[in-house]
This record gives sequence, structure tokens and C-alpha cells, in this order.
Amino acid sequence: MRLSAGLKFLLGLLLCAGAHDGCAASVTVFAAASLSDSLAKIAAQYERETPDKIVFNFAGSSLLARQIEEGAPADIFFSADEAQMDRLQNKGMILPASRHSRLSNRLVIIVAADSSLAISAPRDLAKPSVSRVALADPQAVPAGVYAREFLRSQNLWSAIEPKVVPTANVRGALAAVESGDVEAAIVYKTDAAISKRVKIVYEATQEDAPKISEPMAALKDAPEPAAARRFLLYLDSPAAGKVFAEFGFIVRHGAP
Amino acid sequence: MSQEWQIVWFTAWVSALSTLLILPAGLAAAWLLARHDWRGKSLVETLIMLPLVMPPVATGLILLKVLGRRGVLGGFMHDKFHLDLAFTWRAVLAAQAVMSFPLLVMFARTAFAGVNPRFEQIARTLGAGEWRVFFSITVPLAWRGIVGGMILAFARALGEFGATIMVAGNIPGRTATLSLSIYESVQLGRDAAAFRLLGIAVVLAFAAVWLGGWFLRQRRV
Amino acid sequence: MSLLLKNISLPLADFVLQVDVELAGQVTAIFGPSGAGKTSLLDLIAGLRRPERALIQLEQRVLTDTARGLALPPRERQIGYVPQDLALFPHLPVRKNLLYGCKTPAPRDGLFSYEHVAAVLEIGPLAGRGVTELSGGEKQRVALARALLTSPRLLLLDEPLAGLDAALKARIIPYLARVRDEFQVPMLYVSHDRQEIQALCDEVMELERGQVLPRAKEKA
Repeated sequence: MRLSAGLKFLLGLLLCAGAHDGCAASVTVFAAASLSDSLAKIAAQYERETPDKIVFNFAGSSLLARQIEEGAPADIFFSADEAQMDRLQNKGMILPASRHSRLSNRLVIIVAADSSLAISAPRDLAKPSVSRVALADPQAVPAGVYAREFLRSQNLWSAIEPKVVPTANVRGALAAVESGDVEAAIVYKTDAAISKRVKIVYEATQEDAPKISEPMAALKDAPEPAAARRFLLYLDSPAAGKVFAEFGFIVRHGAP
Repeated sequence: MSQEWQIVWFTAWVSALSTLLILPAGLAAAWLLARHDWRGKSLVETLIMLPLVMPPVATGLILLKVLGRRGVLGGFMHDKFHLDLAFTWRAVLAAQAVMSFPLLVMFARTAFAGVNPRFEQIARTLGAGEWRVFFSITVPLAWRGIVGGMILAFARALGEFGATIMVAGNIPGRTATLSLSIYESVQLGRDAAAFRLLGIAVVLAFAAVWLGGWFLRQRRV
Repeated sequence: MSLLLKNISLPLADFVLQVDVELAGQVTAIFGPSGAGKTSLLDLIAGLRRPERALIQLEQRVLTDTARGLALPPRERQIGYVPQDLALFPHLPVRKNLLYGCKTPAPRDGLFSYEHVAAVLEIGPLAGRGVTELSGGEKQRVALARALLTSPRLLLLDEPLAGLDAALKARIIPYLARVRDEFQVPMLYVSHDRQEIQALCDEVMELERGQVLPRAKEKA
């Protein structure tokens, strides 16, 4: 029986559907919003070199962790802090051997690019001319949690807490500054780099900033475990590291 | 626990205020749609019904553009009066008002259409002007449907989420409504608190829909 | 009365209502089968409907003149209307219904005062009741009184005795005669019953499918 090319392709897909290894797989990655641009670029490169497809779900790490707890079908979790990863590890939902962290980040204070406010240090946020400061929800989203720790360490949290406008994730805080609805925000350096409509007025130094660590891990009930392993390996590669550095992440080199 | 009651109280009074706020415009729109025809009427009808069918976050985004500090209304208020609209309780009010307006118009319109126009006509022959006809004849004969519509609009305002989170955010103590708090609690893994708030929300919604439905079912002989 | 209904044209469902007459009786009957356009004509005179074309003049007062774009609103026409379904306001007690149209004293005050109207139509004792508690005949009289209390210059009655049994009709007709004689208000009386018309009217206009039939004046 002669089959058209299209029909053969369809048959091939059907035959592949049953087997998970060796055929083109779709890897689902739940990743923190702050990683969206860098991971999108890395995934595009990966898809050019392999038959696998990468599918993303970007949101605040706390929401992602909750979704995974409720059984969302993810293969990899890439969190913006260790706390959310611990949450899943304590529930036995990750493969502990695959957990490692390669990335770090810096906190920065941003204002609108055309802002004329005189802000150059964290204590300037306490000034009356700043009525609102956007943070990713400081109760759970890593960027907000880091920011709160940082402000606490500077003894500024009680002065600034009443001004906080919590957003669902760190990109929401960025958007709030861009739209002019808040005077300032604390986000990752990597987020500020994405936008032309904001400018960095202060960068937390190594000494006074909290230790930021962004771990990744494969999930225990992953639908595509082999493909997940392959992508995790790629995320550790020099090629991926180059992209992360490009976007401003601090990349630790060497074996995980 | 007292923080939770603060959230319930805040949600209830802003929803009540929003329902009262939309009453004049809602009744006017309902009456115009029920009693008059004009060119462009279907366009007006569609615009009024839009918030009912559009994704609430889309409506919220439009509100944010209008009420934000760089928006048409928000910018004006911020520059002239140093008054913020977005991310304050006023934005919660605006979101609730916009989202519940179509419901009030819908039910009030049905109520007005159910009033025999003969009564209004005879009132006119007896010397009544349009305002007097409206308040002494039309509204009293339609009051059950109007009240039913108000209660359902109130219920809709109570449960508002998508537009509210866009334009008001979820700021503890300032814009945290019942629905937003349930969402937050779920996100944070605080299931006990989430289910407590959920219970309150269900009771309120049940009472409102039951009571509103009771009014709507009453028919004047 | 002196009621001019000139060049009236109003498209209805199946035909066009066309009337061009001058009425001069004390009580003029509009006679015709149902669906002839009688109620629509009353609505036009009262200002409740807009004609395509018309000149309506009561005594020397122009009520509607489409040529000049003139149309007095119903509340300024001083025309009392008793519709076929009476339209007594169900949410108001009888007294409030009666007094609904009373505002500033009209020129012919004593005649149209509450006491006089209530006496002529014998509705005094009904004042405190609710509308739904009234009998058919009582409702008729209250609706009539309500219209009279506005000191109208013209009274429109749409089938006032329709739906009443013969005994009740016989009881109401004297009241209508009293209204005619005591108040001297010109009346337009719509009916499809020749006997009623004979008893009360001194002029008849016949309407059929929107057209006025050539008629003869009948004196009671």
C-alpha cells in the first residue's frame, strides 16, 4: 500500500507516542518568572540541536510549588530560592540527587527611567517622596522574600512595609515601575536589564545582600524523565551558562 | 481570626458602596433600554453587557490603564489632587462597580419592561412630568425586580477577583478582599485559612443569590 | 365641544388610520368594530402617540400640528382619559389614585372639587380602600372621578361599559349622564354598543378599518 508522505509522518508520530525514550519528547519546565527570558533563549538553542521540545510555565516560585504539590504534570522545577525547593523536597516530590544550584543573582532598586526622584541608597526608600514600593509578594515569592530579608538587615523593613505593593511575581513589580504606579521597586538585576523603561539606582553588594541561590531539580513523577535529565544536563553546559551570564546571572562554574 | 473578619467587613462595605454607586446610572440605563428605541441602541446594549462576558482580567487591564498614575483619570487625580486610584480601595470599588453594573441593568430592565406602559401613560394625562412618572409609578411597580437586581449585583461585587487583582492588587489591610485572600492563602499553602474564608464566601453568596432570587420571583398581580 | 381632527394619518398594523372631521357635539360617540382604530385615535388626541401627520385642535388650542413640528406633551393638554382597562394604579390606595392629578386649582374649581366629584359619583366611602378591593362598577366610577378631578377640557372614555353585565351597565349609565349634565365637559365616547350610544351621545362618528364612514347626526 502506497502511503503519502503526510500519512507516513502521522504514523511515525503514533508509533512514537507509546515509547518515551529515543523519540521526540516534550519537556515541561516550571520556572520562576525571573528566568523567563534567559530560559526561552536556551530552550530555542536546545530545540535546534535536539528533537525535544521544551514547554514552560513561568510564575512566582511559590505558586509553581503549590501547583506541583497539587499534581501538575511538570518534569523540571527551577526555583528562585531554596525555600520553595525545600518545600517540594520535604514532600518527596523531587529527585534529590538531581537538585543543584548554579545561578545566583543580585538585588537592585529600580525607578522609572524618566524619574527625577533622588534615590541612591535603600534608606531613600523611607523618604516621604516615595509613597509606594513594589515587591514580589514578600510573604512567599522568592524575590519578595529576599527583598524583605535585605531590608530587615538594613533595619528599614518597618519603615517600608506600609508602602509595599505586593505583586504576584517579580516581573509584576517591574511592570508597576514601568507604568508609573509605584515610585520604586526591588527586583533582580537580571529583571532590570530586560527593561529599557527603568533604571537601576542601587545594587546590593555581596556583603549586605542575602545569599540568592536559584536551584533546579527533576521531579519524581515527571512524565518524561529521560528527556528531563537530558535538558538538565544541557542547563549545566557552558553554552547555557553563557546565555545566563549574558542576561546578568552570576553563574557558578564547575561540576554541580 | 480578627484579621479574617476585617477582610470580610472590608469586602462587604466596599461591595455595598459599589452597589449604591451604580444604582442611579444603572436604573437610568435600564429605563432607557426598556422604554425607548433609538439609533445605536444595540451598540449601547452591547457595551453595557461587555464586562459580563469579557475575561475579567481584560476588564481589569483596561481599568488599570484608566485609573493608573499615567492613565486618563488616574493621572488627573494624582497630579491635581495627589489622590491615587489604582492600588487603593477606590480601585476595588471601581472594579466591583464595573463588573456588577451589567447585572443590575439586566434585571432592572426586565422589571421596568414588566410594568404596563398604560400606567405611565395615564399618569402623564393626569399631569405628571417624566421624573414624577418614574418615581411615583414606574419604580414602585418595578421595585421587586430592582431590589433583586441590586442584591445580585452585590453578590457579584462580593466575589469579584480578576479585575480587582489587576487594578487594585492584593495589598494586606488595604485592598485585600475575600476572593483575593482565598487565592493568596492557597498560594501560600495556608489551606485551613483558605477553607475558612471559602466557607464565609459560600455562605454570603448563597444568602445573596437566594434572597435576590426570592425578590425576582415575586410578581405583582 | 369644538374638536378639530384634521388630516390625521397614523399607520397601524393592517391599515392606515385616516381621519378628517370636526366634532361639535356634547358627547360624541366613536362607533365601530374592534380593531377599527378607535383606541389609537384616542391615544393621538391625548398625546400618547405620535401621528405621521395631523392637526389636532381643541377649542382654539392647537394640541398637535405636524406641519409646524408642534406636539404638546400629554400633561399639558388637560385631557382626561379613562382607558379600557381603567389603569387604576395598583400600588396606591383609592384616595391617592383620585388625587394623583390634582395640583394647582383649575379655573372651574368648585365644580371639579373633590367633594363635588365624590358626591356625584358616590365614591366617598371608597377612598380608604385598596384598588383590588373594589368591584367592577366601583372601579369604573373611581377611574372616571380620577380623570374629572384634573378639571379636564375634554374627557376620553374608551369602552367604559365593556365587560359589565346588563344590570351593572344600567346602574353606571346614569352616572355618565350625571357627568355629562353636571360637569359640562365635552366627552368622546368609544363604544361598539348602539344602545349605550343612543342613551348618552348626541353625535356619532363611525370608524371602520381606520376610515371615517359618512354619517348622520343623531340626537338623543
